[in-house]
Formats: sequence, structure tokens, C-alpha cells
Amino acid sequence: MGLFALEHKKLWRKASVRVSVLLCFAYVVIFGGVLSYQWFEFGSTDDVTSAFGNNFDGYAMIRSYQARADSYGAYLTDSSLQQMVRDIQADNDRGIFWQNADSRSTVNGYLSQLYPELEETDNAYPTLMEYYVDSAKLTDFYQRRQAALEDFLHLQGQGVGEERAMLLAMNDKVDEPFRYGWVRGWQFVLGSALADLGVIMAVFLAIVLAPTFSGEWHSNTAPLLLTMDRGWRRLARAKVLSGLAFAVELFMLLAAGGVAAQLIYLGTAGWDMPIQTIKLLAVAPMNMLQAEIYEYAFALLGAIGFAGVVMLLSALVKSNVLALLFSLAAVYGPMAIAQYLPYGLQSALGLLPLVGSATDIFRTNTFHIFGRYIWSPYLLITVPVLFGLACVPFAVRRWSRRQRA
Amino acid sequence: MELSFDRLTKHYGSKIAVDRVSAALGPGVYGLLGANGAGKTTLMRMLCAILEPTAGEVFWGGEEVTGMGAAYRNVLGYLPQDFGCYPNYTAAEFLAYIATLKGIPRDMAQRRIRELLDTVGLLGAARKKLRTFSGGMKQRVGVAQALLNDPKVLILDEPTAGLDPKERVHLRNLLADYAGDRIVLVSTHIVSDVEAIADEVLMMKNGRFILRGTVPQLVRQAEGKVWELTVPAAQARAWAARVTVANFRHEGERAVLRIISDERPGPQAVPCRATMEDLYLYHFGEEA
Repeated sequence: MGLFALEHKKLWRKASVRVSVLLCFAYVVIFGGVLSYQWFEFGSTDDVTSAFGNNFDGYAMIRSYQARADSYGAYLTDSSLQQMVRDIQADNDRGIFWQNADSRSTVNGYLSQLYPELEETDNAYPTLMEYYVDSAKLTDFYQRRQAALEDFLHLQGQGVGEERAMLLAMNDKVDEPFRYGWVRGWQFVLGSALADLGVIMAVFLAIVLAPTFSGEWHSNTAPLLLTMDRGWRRLARAKVLSGLAFAVELFMLLAAGGVAAQLIYLGTAGWDMPIQTIKLLAVAPMNMLQAEIYEYAFALLGAIGFAGVVMLLSALVKSNVLALLFSLAAVYGPMAIAQYLPYGLQSALGLLPLVGSATDIFRTNTFHIFGRYIWSPYLLITVPVLFGLACVPFAVRRWSRRQRA
Repeated sequence: MELSFDRLTKHYGSKIAVDRVSAALGPGVYGLLGANGAGKTTLMRMLCAILEPTAGEVFWGGEEVTGMGAAYRNVLGYLPQDFGCYPNYTAAEFLAYIATLKGIPRDMAQRRIRELLDTVGLLGAARKKLRTFSGGMKQRVGVAQALLNDPKVLILDEPTAGLDPKERVHLRNLLADYAGDRIVLVSTHIVSDVEAIADEVLMMKNGRFILRGTVPQLVRQAEGKVWELTVPAAQARAWAARVTVANFRHEGERAVLRIISDERPGPQAVPCRATMEDLYLYHFGEEA
């Protein structure tokens, strides 16, 4: 414990670590959280060409968006959908755009997916269906969703057999009618802010942890450390533990900041809405809170897994710069090349720490392993951390071997 | 209590860094003397069991050290060449870190750290970060860390490098005091350091021991090979090109040369008393 505490202290003493954490916090919590809520994402719009042209009034706008959404009742039904469309059209007729600008995009998604036959191809703006559809025709919302889902699975090649049965069984557990409230706030949290958390953490984890072992060469302390009574194994374990602890601490810091900003700006309203209100054809029986917990867990476990990978790379090379470059390549390399690879390989790359996406909970992707279909988020959250932890013993062994070469 | 090594060899590819060296070291201070590249550091790293020999073995108390693991490390204190430390730690924190690595209980470590910082003259700088330390101060921290566990075998690789003359004298006295019934092996290419503290000198060249003995014994080997010759100052350069000149000084229009040579270099040359430095130059004249 003493050795771990000292290694941990040593890690945090570095100026590069403190600056990295500060920058990461500023980017994720201040820029991606507070300023996004107050300005870029939810500030009222005078200048539609740039998010920086928004007004600094996100807090008030969010309150008005939430109040508006709440006025349609607690559940998404045919009648509430019809009312939303009528309100959008009425506002449009009066030349008022902003009040419904927010729910408009959500409604547009519902209409385009469930009522494609209502699209007027000869309309000047055919995709903006919410402005012209006859609201009375917006009926059978849930039957249409079921049909659209089955069509989608068929198009995805998932329309038959065990895979289809598994996905539809998941979908059967989704409560209908959907709880309804203001969707776009949660869409921002789950689809943007949290989805990118791991990718951003990867940069800073790489900067901080790449020198874990290679740094001992850099600071020329390796020969000294190897003659200690506690030996390289305990020292390496302490280093690994402090690296993993750092990954958790960085995550906690960002998560605490993110949750605080979310609570201040969004509050807790809508936590029990199903994620299908964001993406209609999702099959996971999850509400917003569960989805948020999943995405945070995804980032945490991914960060721990990635920390393991970075420390292995740090043990493999003697140069801090190389360790950093390889670490960054370990996460951004697969992301960059994935689009050029066959689908199976793309999916496999997604199992590497912080390479896959937490937003797979909105998708119907599966892995077919040993004759069984497994919904991708189950593996995307577990395999990366196991992969990273499996790297740890190799890092310890490799480091000691290098010292004695 | 004996540290011995038998036909210890290290190859780096085709280069032989240490070539079948053997010795048995009992309590005392040993000076490992040799030019840069003679194999001193490689030998010391093998003795510390942090470098695997290509061949040969190291024994502590008759037991092969690689099999002893922590039991051997527990009796070992080591100051590597170019001693590295963590610049963001204070001297006291760094020593506390090393004490933990050495498995020294916390209370005992605190006392020992204070004692050693006092011994190496850094008690006043205990709370200063290592990045603010001069090279000599860092080297003293390095010596302190090597002594933390009160080692029975103390191996110091170039401990006086970077120290000013006062610090060197202080360190030499410290080691002489410390040695007692312990084995202290000090590598250096500074002859005066070895001369001042070593009970016995091991001289290395091209990875092998070429000489071993006490300072007087070794110096005796150089007797009859050291000459003083007075020549016109204008001829001094020509003499230096022809023979190994250990020293020369001007006396008016003339130069007095101290020459290392098996033969009397000239009829006017007079034999003079040899020193360790003369012996060193005799063996490493071209490299020194």
C-alpha cells in the first residue's frame, strides 16, 4: 500500500499530469458541458450559421423546452404526436420558429421513419414533413414502429432466425406507450457528450500513462529501482495500480463534473423515458438513466482497459514519445481504418478499449460467437476491460525482462 | 562475508564488455579503476544482479545471487552511474520512496533519512525539490539512498562525478568511515579518489583485471618507470609526442617533464617516486 501511495503521489506530482487533467476537465466539463448547455447547443439562435452565434441563454431555453414538452402529457401517443405537429405548423404559420425548434427535429425523426408515405416529393422541402403533413393521418404510432423495426431488421440481414427472435424479445420488454418529455437534452447527453467521453479520455490517458515504465528509462532510474528489496514485481504492480487508479480518478472527475452540469441544466426530468424516444428503432429496454449509467460504465471500463494497453506499450519501448504515439495509434488507428475493413473486422476492432462506441445501445448490432447471438453492447463493455487487464501481466514481465537485457 | 565472482563475462553482440573476470572480495573498500569503456559499469551491474552475465556467476556468502532475489537485494546498496531521480520529489520524499522500495519500516525510514541527509550535508535542503538541486547535490542524494538500508555490500559507480573538491573529500571520508566490516566497491577513473580511500585496487582494461593489490603494492609496480627530465621549453611538445608525459611545468626558459617510460628517456632523466596516477598512465597512457 505504501509503495502504491508513493507511486500514485509521484504520478500526480508531474506537471504534465496536472496540466493534462486540467485541460481534459476544461474540455469535457466546461466546454463540452457547461458552455454547450448554456451556449452552443441550447442557446437561442439568431445566427443559424454557427453555434457560436447562439445566445448565452441555454438555461432559460432548456426550461422553456422542458415546459413545452411536458405540456403534451406524460406519454407519447398518437394524439400527443398529432398535437406536437399541429403546434409546429401553427408556430410556423405565425412565423415563430424557436419555440418548437427543439422538438421539431425529434418529431421530424418520428415522421420520416414511421410515416414515409406522407412525404410530398414535390414539396420544396420534402424532408421537413412536420411542416406540411396532415396531423390527422398520424395514427397507429406503435404498430407502425413495430412494422418499421421488423423491416429494418430484415434490411440489416437480421430478419430471420435466432437473431431476430432475440432482438424482438428485447423489444417486447420496452414499455408502451413511451414516457415522454423533453428528448433533445437526453439526446445530447447520451448521443454526444457521453459518447465522446472515452475518445477524449484516451488522449489524456495516453499522455499521462505512456511514461509509466518507459519514463524510468527517461529519468534513468531503472538501474536503481531494480536493486531494491521490494523488487521490480512489486514496483511494477504499484505502477500498474497507480495507472489504473489514475484512469478511475480521471473518469470520476469528469463524470462528477458532467453529472453536476447535467443536473444543473437538465435536472432529472425525463430520466424514465425509454431510449426509443431518441431512436425509434432501438430495441434495448432501457430508460435514459439506465442508458446513461451504461455509457458512463462503458467509458470507465474502456478507460481502465485502455490504461492497461498503454502501460503494456510503455513497457515495450524505452522512449516516452514512442509509447505515446503507439498508445494513440492503439485507439485512433483502428478508428481510422475501420471503414476500409469488412464488417466483421470492424466489429472486432470495436472490442478494443475505447475504440467501440457506447451508442451501440441504440443499435441492433450483434456478435455471433460459438453459435450464439450476443447483443453488441454486452461485449463492447466487457471485452475491452478484460483485454486491457490481460495486458498488465505482460507489461510487468516485459518491463523486468527489458531491464535485465 | 564474501562477495565473489567467477569468470564473469558479458558480451554485447560481438563486443566483449567484461571478459572472464574473477575475484573474491572481503570487507574493505575496493577501488575499481579503469578508463571509460573498460567494463567497470557492466561489471558493477552484474554484481548488482540487474544485468544477466553472458557467462559466469556472482556469489554472496557462497550462494549464487540470481537465485537469492530479495535476500541479496536486501544487503545491497547501489549508486548507478548517471544516477537518475524524480525531479518533482523533494529530497526527503525521494528517500522515503526508496526506503519503501527497500522495505524499510516507515518510522525507521524517517529516522534514517534524517540521519543520512545530515551525513551528506543536505538536511537543510530536505524539503527542496530535486529539480532545483545541482549535480553534486543530486549525487549526494544518490549516495544517501544507497546507504538507506545500511547495506553490507555497497556498490558505487562513479560516486564522485560532478562533486566539487570539498564534496569529494567529504564523500571519501564518509565511505572510509562507513566501510568497517562491509564491502564497498567504488568505480572511478579519478585516481586520487582511489588512492585516498581504497584498501585494494582492481584495475580494469578491455573488460579484464590487469592489476590487483593495495595502493603501495601497485605503486611499487610503477617504480623505475617514472622519470623527471628538464628540457628547453621549446622541446616540450616534441617530448610529449614521443613519450607519455604525466606532467610538465615551466621553470623559466626550461620545462620539467614527468615521464612514464620503461626505459630512461634520456641521459639527463632522473628517476623519481611513483604514484597511482603514474601507474594509471603507464597502463592507460593512450586512452587517458
